[in-house]
Amino acid sequence: MFEMNTAEPMQVDVPPEDNENNETECYVVDNPTLDLETYAASYTGFAKLYRLMFVADHCPSLRLEALKMAISYVMTTYNVSLYQTLHKKLAEAVASAGLPDVAVQMGSQDIPVLDTIWIESKTKKAAIKLEKLDTDLKNYKTNSIKESIRRGHDDLGDHYLDCGDLTSALKCYSRARDYCTSGKHIIMMCLNVVKVSVYLQNWAHVLNYVSKAEGTPDFNEVPGKDSNQSILTRLKCAAGLAELATKKYKSAAKHFLAASIDHCDYPELLSSNNVAIYGGLCALATFDRSELQKQVIVSSSFKLFLELEPQLRDIIFKFYESKYASCLRLLDEIRDNLLLDMYLAPHLNSLYMQIRNRALIQYFSPYLSADMRLMAAAFNRTVNALEDELMLLILDGQIQARIDSHNKILYAKDVDQRSTTFERSLAMGKEYQRRTSMLILRAAMLKNQIHVKNVGRDTGPQSGEAPGSSTSLTPRTFDTVPL
Amino acid sequence: MASPLEQFVDNVRTMSASGSFRELCEVIGKSDEVLQRNSAHLPTVLETLDIQQHSLGVLAVLVAKFSLPQGAEVDKANMFKQIHDFITNCNGEQVRFSPELYAELCHLLTNHLVDIKQPIRGIEILKKAIRKIQLFDSQLTSIHADLCQLCLLSKCMKPALEFLDTDVTGIGTELGGNNDSKHFLLYYYYGGMIYTAMKNYDRALYFFEVVVTVPAMVVSHIMLEAYKKYILVSFILHGKILPMPKYTSQVVCRFLKPLSVAYHELATSTHAASKHRETFVRDKNMGLVNQVLSSMYKKNIQRLTKTFLTLSLSDVASRVQLGGPSQAENYILNMIEEGEIYAMINQKDGMVVFLDSPEKYASPETLCVLEQQMAACTKLHQYIQEMDEQIQVNPQYVKKSVGSHDEDIPATSQNSKTTYSM
Repeated sequence: MFEMNTAEPMQVDVPPEDNENNETECYVVDNPTLDLETYAASYTGFAKLYRLMFVADHCPSLRLEALKMAISYVMTTYNVSLYQTLHKKLAEAVASAGLPDVAVQMGSQDIPVLDTIWIESKTKKAAIKLEKLDTDLKNYKTNSIKESIRRGHDDLGDHYLDCGDLTSALKCYSRARDYCTSGKHIIMMCLNVVKVSVYLQNWAHVLNYVSKAEGTPDFNEVPGKDSNQSILTRLKCAAGLAELATKKYKSAAKHFLAASIDHCDYPELLSSNNVAIYGGLCALATFDRSELQKQVIVSSSFKLFLELEPQLRDIIFKFYESKYASCLRLLDEIRDNLLLDMYLAPHLNSLYMQIRNRALIQYFSPYLSADMRLMAAAFNRTVNALEDELMLLILDGQIQARIDSHNKILYAKDVDQRSTTFERSLAMGKEYQRRTSMLILRAAMLKNQIHVKNVGRDTGPQSGEAPGSSTSLTPRTFDTVPL
Repeated sequence: MASPLEQFVDNVRTMSASGSFRELCEVIGKSDEVLQRNSAHLPTVLETLDIQQHSLGVLAVLVAKFSLPQGAEVDKANMFKQIHDFITNCNGEQVRFSPELYAELCHLLTNHLVDIKQPIRGIEILKKAIRKIQLFDSQLTSIHADLCQLCLLSKCMKPALEFLDTDVTGIGTELGGNNDSKHFLLYYYYGGMIYTAMKNYDRALYFFEVVVTVPAMVVSHIMLEAYKKYILVSFILHGKILPMPKYTSQVVCRFLKPLSVAYHELATSTHAASKHRETFVRDKNMGLVNQVLSSMYKKNIQRLTKTFLTLSLSDVASRVQLGGPSQAENYILNMIEEGEIYAMINQKDGMVVFLDSPEKYASPETLCVLEQQMAACTKLHQYIQEMDEQIQVNPQYVKKSVGSHDEDIPATSQNSKTTYSM
């Protein structure tokens, strides 16, 4: 299991798999206002690499820079295969950047070349280290010291992670589980597994292990309140990320809101800024007005997060103050930057859509009738586009209103409770009758043992069902349809 | 006259006279071969038996006579008259001892009429035949399917309606047990088609649903065809494919969907109709598909009434993807006339004003409808209670539910319950 040969092919497998994920949504961000240097500085490990690669894939103007940074970072690890992939990408990027351009002159000076010696030495070193860790672990096992075995597994996992072999890392970290002696160890193990699972984008696994960690008996009694808080924050962030990825925006928002700014130190996964943006956007999209006020705007802990992202803070405040036009304009302004975030990008459209809908609903809620021209102005839309949006909302039952397309006025609909009650009870009665007669018929059917069985033509109807072929679709006596 | 045949006639006479019909049925079951072999003498045998007194014997002879594959051309001409006489004059009590044979005779007649393309002649006689064999009005027999088939073929649907409209509560023995479920499936399939033809889509959907949800270990072609029509009717009625009930057999779910891809595509793309035209024409469902298409437009227009108070005709056309304002006007006009929407068209400025339903549920008629519906519901509920009581006093059930206290309580008691409930 621990031999080099098994590790090698897997190393190649992981990064391409990730590339495919990114390529599924092909879009290009043209003019982001992102400072790549500071952006990358807030992450370490795979988070940094993946994020840089994501930027490189989607933003041509930052592509070279992002790849260069990724390469220089990957040189500090043992991840040889990723190094090679990055170089290949870089070569493609340079080639496609346009030959006679300034970029080439500039690029030719400082574009790193593929360092084959580095690759060789790193591969060798990695193998040596792996072997050493492996023998260590075997020694521990023969001595059967639980704590050492656990550490041995952890170290091995760290090394695999360093080499970029995520699946093996996950295996090692999970194996450490049998040797955990205290609650703290279990939590450490869970954190490791969560981390790798996030890299592998196995979200069900993430949630599973987060709840496992939270369910650990002495989770709340771990000495040193600070470390406890930081673990809690990490778990919340990971859970939030998993919920976000599985489109459960509301619970994602709740998880992110539970993070604490003082202990938000999780560069392997996300930065405090990420927490602010993910949490803020998800909350904006799913919380109602009072929830928004209570849990976001006056929340002392999340306020500090919002200070990190002043634009988002303004957006939330504008939304709360019902200044939708400026709120939506600000949202559009930060859109380009958010599209470069690998976790948020796939959900940005639906989040924006939900925020918009929420704004529309809130805008109309106090009115009996509203002028759609004014409304359109408030939402930076043409009247016709607004009409379409409203139509969808009305059909969805989110706004109780009707549109007067002739005069461009939106009227609140007064529902006649009496008529609807009549309508619904009659429909319910019909449904009851239908179901009950079906029930009676079915009872009769079962009583008489009527069922479709395989009465073969050759065996004759008396022979019952032919065994063995009962699941195949056998054309039984087929009657030609006389219509 | 050959001796086994004589013996048969003797048996029929003595047993009919002594009233031991059950034994007679057994004898008849065994003498099938004798009758087949002596086909030449059957007319003579018939003359010696009396339709009223020896109904079972006559029935057996008739079935044997008409199920002969060869040389029966001469009799076919007489067949209709003979069967007609038999059904009108036979003794219902006696015949009920052998419903299989009776049904067989009706199937033979049906096939004959289908062959000679005179389906309408059989409708009245089959109605009579059903009434004769039924123990109660809501009992289903396998002759029902024949009646529906004849009605469909002769494009004369009304006579079948009186049977179709009664909800079935009991099923004739000849349909169940070890016998083929073909006639059961066919009845509901044909019934669904009749209702579809009468544009009673609600009921049609119910019938097709019955076909598809029959417990199954294999999938019958009748089920497949019914499923296709189920999808189409479901579109017309609800604008989408209704999910199948949970108790549908798994085989059915697994096999029917892949076999009806073209139909499922109707939901997602508007071009599916033209794309799969060949399939639809081959399945003889093109007419229904066309109805689905026009009903889609209608459904969309109905959706508009929920969101708009006024809308210009050209907007209507663009929103429901109709050709132009005039086509939209046509659709809306028709829908207003049929009471499907409440609206007014203002031709001067090309606007449509959508109104609320004028029904205020305040008229005596509403009250009447409400009472009828409530009575129907109560009746059904009572019936269910009766069924429940019958189960409660069923010795097998009592034994199982009492005995189960010793062993595993939930397993056995639930089993016996689920047998009767859904």
